[in-house]
Amino acid sequence: MTTTPVRASATPQARKHHRPVSLGRIVAWVAMIAFLIVTLFPFYWMLRTALSTTRSLPSAPGSLLPVDFTWGAFERVLGLGSRAQAVAEGGSGASVNFWLYLRNSVVYAGSVTIGQVFFCAMAAYAFARLRWPGRNLVFGIFLGALLVPPIFTSLPNFILVKNLGLLNTLPGMILPTFLMTPFAIFFLRQFFLGISREIEESAALDGAGPWRTFFRIILPMSTAPVTTLAILTFIATWNDYFWPLLVGNTEQARVLTVALGVFRSQTPAGSPDWAGLMAATLIAAAPVLVLFFAFARKIIDSIGYSGVK
Amino acid sequence: MIRGFYFSMTQYNILGTPKWIGFDNFVRIGKDPLFWNALGVTLEYVVLNIGFQTIIAIVLAVMMQRLTKSVVLRGALLLPWLVSNVIAAMVWFWLLDYQIGLVNQFLAWTGASKIAFFGDSFWAIPTIAFVNVWRHMGYTALLVFAGLQTIPKYVYEAASIDGSSEWSSFWRMTMPLLRPVLAMILVITVTGSFQVFDTVAVTTRGGPVNITRVLQYYIYQKGFAEGQFGYASAISVVLFLILAVMAALQLRLLRAGESDLA
Amino acid sequence: MTSFTRRQALVGLAGISIAATVAACSSSTPAASTSSASGEVTYWLWDSNQQPVYQKVADAFHAANPNITVKITQYSWDDYWTNVTNGFVAGTAPDVFTNHLSKYPEFVTQGQLMALDDALKADGVKTDIYQKGLADLWVGQDGKRYGLPKDFDTISIFYNKDLVKAAGVAEADLANLTWNPTDGGTYEKTIAHLTLDSNGKRGDEAGFDKSKVKVYGLGLDGGSGGGNGQTQWSMYTGTTSWTFTDKNPWGTHYNYDKPEFQNTMAWMRSLIEKGYMPTIESITGQSSADIFGASKYAMITNGSWMINQMFGYKGINTGLAPVPTGPNGKRSSMYNGLADSVWAGSKNQAAAVKWVEYLGSAAAQDIVGASGVVFPAIPSGTDAAGSAFGAKNIDVNSSFLVHIKNGTTFLFPITDHASQVTGIMQPAVDAVFTGKAKADSLTAANTQVNALFS
Repeated sequence: MTTTPVRASATPQARKHHRPVSLGRIVAWVAMIAFLIVTLFPFYWMLRTALSTTRSLPSAPGSLLPVDFTWGAFERVLGLGSRAQAVAEGGSGASVNFWLYLRNSVVYAGSVTIGQVFFCAMAAYAFARLRWPGRNLVFGIFLGALLVPPIFTSLPNFILVKNLGLLNTLPGMILPTFLMTPFAIFFLRQFFLGISREIEESAALDGAGPWRTFFRIILPMSTAPVTTLAILTFIATWNDYFWPLLVGNTEQARVLTVALGVFRSQTPAGSPDWAGLMAATLIAAAPVLVLFFAFARKIIDSIGYSGVK
Repeated sequence: MIRGFYFSMTQYNILGTPKWIGFDNFVRIGKDPLFWNALGVTLEYVVLNIGFQTIIAIVLAVMMQRLTKSVVLRGALLLPWLVSNVIAAMVWFWLLDYQIGLVNQFLAWTGASKIAFFGDSFWAIPTIAFVNVWRHMGYTALLVFAGLQTIPKYVYEAASIDGSSEWSSFWRMTMPLLRPVLAMILVITVTGSFQVFDTVAVTTRGGPVNITRVLQYYIYQKGFAEGQFGYASAISVVLFLILAVMAALQLRLLRAGESDLA
Repeated sequence: MTSFTRRQALVGLAGISIAATVAACSSSTPAASTSSASGEVTYWLWDSNQQPVYQKVADAFHAANPNITVKITQYSWDDYWTNVTNGFVAGTAPDVFTNHLSKYPEFVTQGQLMALDDALKADGVKTDIYQKGLADLWVGQDGKRYGLPKDFDTISIFYNKDLVKAAGVAEADLANLTWNPTDGGTYEKTIAHLTLDSNGKRGDEAGFDKSKVKVYGLGLDGGSGGGNGQTQWSMYTGTTSWTFTDKNPWGTHYNYDKPEFQNTMAWMRSLIEKGYMPTIESITGQSSADIFGASKYAMITNGSWMINQMFGYKGINTGLAPVPTGPNGKRSSMYNGLADSVWAGSKNQAAAVKWVEYLGSAAAQDIVGASGVVFPAIPSGTDAAGSAFGAKNIDVNSSFLVHIKNGTTFLFPITDHASQVTGIMQPAVDAVFTGKAKADSLTAANTQVNALFS
């Protein structure tokens, strides 16, 4: 007996079958479109503001189109354009050494990502597959670390970095989170738990120890969730603001997100340089967006594997 | 962490030396109306935030599974998460501004009355919750979607053979099977939600009149702005205990849900 | 994951503790003679609009002192104090930085500022060359000087010329308004007349609908103003016999229980109730300057640091008028001054002091004044600024500077426990403005505030 394909599909293959256009389906689409509008409209608004002149923005608050169209904001962010022009448009006039900050962000986010993924993968495997006394307890403690308010983690980190003499340097910024973070371990452990044991058993029969099993078999099988974790980590670290602000305040160690602070309010109760700020946000988000769409299918498909068993 | 506990028992002004005062800080917390205000405000926020976020995430995930397979759409839903918390808050702070924000202009144009989203004592916390839901709903939806993928098809087929309607299938089968995923998501999101700070710091700063003075902001205000670091540590300890209790409760749900499918 | 980064955020600063005890070194040795000063001095400021001017000053300084270079870094206001405090604790604070009255008492208590008296005496620097009262602001409770005045600001009325004209009010009349806490005087009448609802009715006409206000006669800057109301109401209370504290600076008793203060708060609330001034709820949002730029306010009281922004909005013709005269027959304005301070932990104190002395001299302040961004503390600098603004058609002389001429300024209140006072007064005054509490509830708040000093 064949299954009725008319039902809303739980399977991908049912997509091509004819489905009646029911009221429920219409409602669902309307809801989906509503969500999309709410989700995406602010981005349109950011673009429109980035292409406007800051000074003119309040004069047309309801306008959906750029107010006094200008590329000035993007020029300010990228460090092109003159200061006088920036001030004339209502911009902050501060200089932004864009490419340096971009490089710093890439180094920071990249290093942390590589470090975390590498070490957390190994740790997650240890938690998932290797048996050792106290394993569950240690894992519980790691989980508990998720709950600790920041006051308890930033303190030792900051002091550690200061004592190592690494304040205001990129290595100092990278160090504390380089090795691991509870979320990453949790995420990967769930996936490793889901791998069939038979593969490992056959590897063990062939004489492979845990290291080789891990590197030759498990890792290659897990490119999807590892990639996902890498991208999630990269995005989160890229957007990190306060830790780099705390630890990396000199020109050499400033990352892009901290540099964006230049566009925020210059004076008490003043207004930020809106156009510059929006342009900077879009530009700062651009590398992440590119990364995301390049790996989009992989991420979305692979998130399936991390589903908790 | 231990140092944090130590500070909670002292009177300490960041740049000086701590002075041991035992449990005085905790007694003071009990009597501090602003602490209880912060707790109440934060609880209201968490309930609204997590409630809406989880429901919307589930709805979105189900729609993603059944309505469309488009990567573009799914990617679009994830976009808000790519923007930093601070920027998201600033953008919505403008969009929802009473006098010059687009949303209120639209409301006025339709003839409805304007709403002071961030200032009104009824709307302020829900609005902050909204901003955070906006930012996280796509991401949470993807996690739920992943959970949905682990439910094998035969379960649905069996249900439809038995004549169960979509709605009933959803409630009786999808939801229970989703429980492990949901539990994990809830632990993480509730913890994060209790610690809301960025959005408040960039927009209302606790006001007007304390209606958005959430716990984390109150801790920051006491510890950093007012130099009462010992007291702030004590409040942090209380927050930590609350989170630990909540997580323990939620993990119980997690364990209970483990065996549904096997 | 993101929750982590967000969390590492906030109190990473409050998290700075143990290191602090190490870093809080104060300079007990007198500064080395500045004549032998050399090296690099780091200098921080927050206003990016002033950065180029200060760069010019730094260049001039370097020309006069080739052995010393000044490196200027600018952080936006939102991050500035975070970075400064971080710097104190981490030992990476700048040698010299722009200091603000609301922060400096706590820095003094924490031993982070260097006392300048010995160095100034050794170099023969006079501190009586500044506008009256400014230099005294920067002398701590211990009698030592912690900063040299840099610039000052006062409060004035900014108005929208087109809106005022449309109401049939002559600009000259705006300069002659009177105020009192009972019925608001001609000030309130003008405000009422300038208020417009969406049906075209003015605030003083029958049928005015206060739920549909299109233009407010008087805007409100940011909130209720908490305990000091610098841009919101201090210019009114200053015309009564009321003072914030028993003495200023370094008072130990606040006077928020006095009727003059409470009646002024009640008057502010009455303006809101009548619909002439926006509610606190509705101004929790964008800056008052932007709202002014959207033509929603006919007038608003604001500080001189906002001049360039208020005059820069497209399509808005801005005008300036002095604040109204009050019950004592005079005008009044709160007078806030910035100064440059030297960090106690600076490794190059000699050069840092030399830079501060230069910044506090007419040479530097004339350059700053001529750029037309702020009012420098030295009279010659102030005049230069007056002309510079005048050249841009901004008449500061009859609005902001009229208080200097007539001696009608009063100092920003300086006491210990400033941030805790704010923590108490901000919600208390908010509550009065939102109508949640009556003005006499401020007596209870006052008791709480004064308890801090016992």
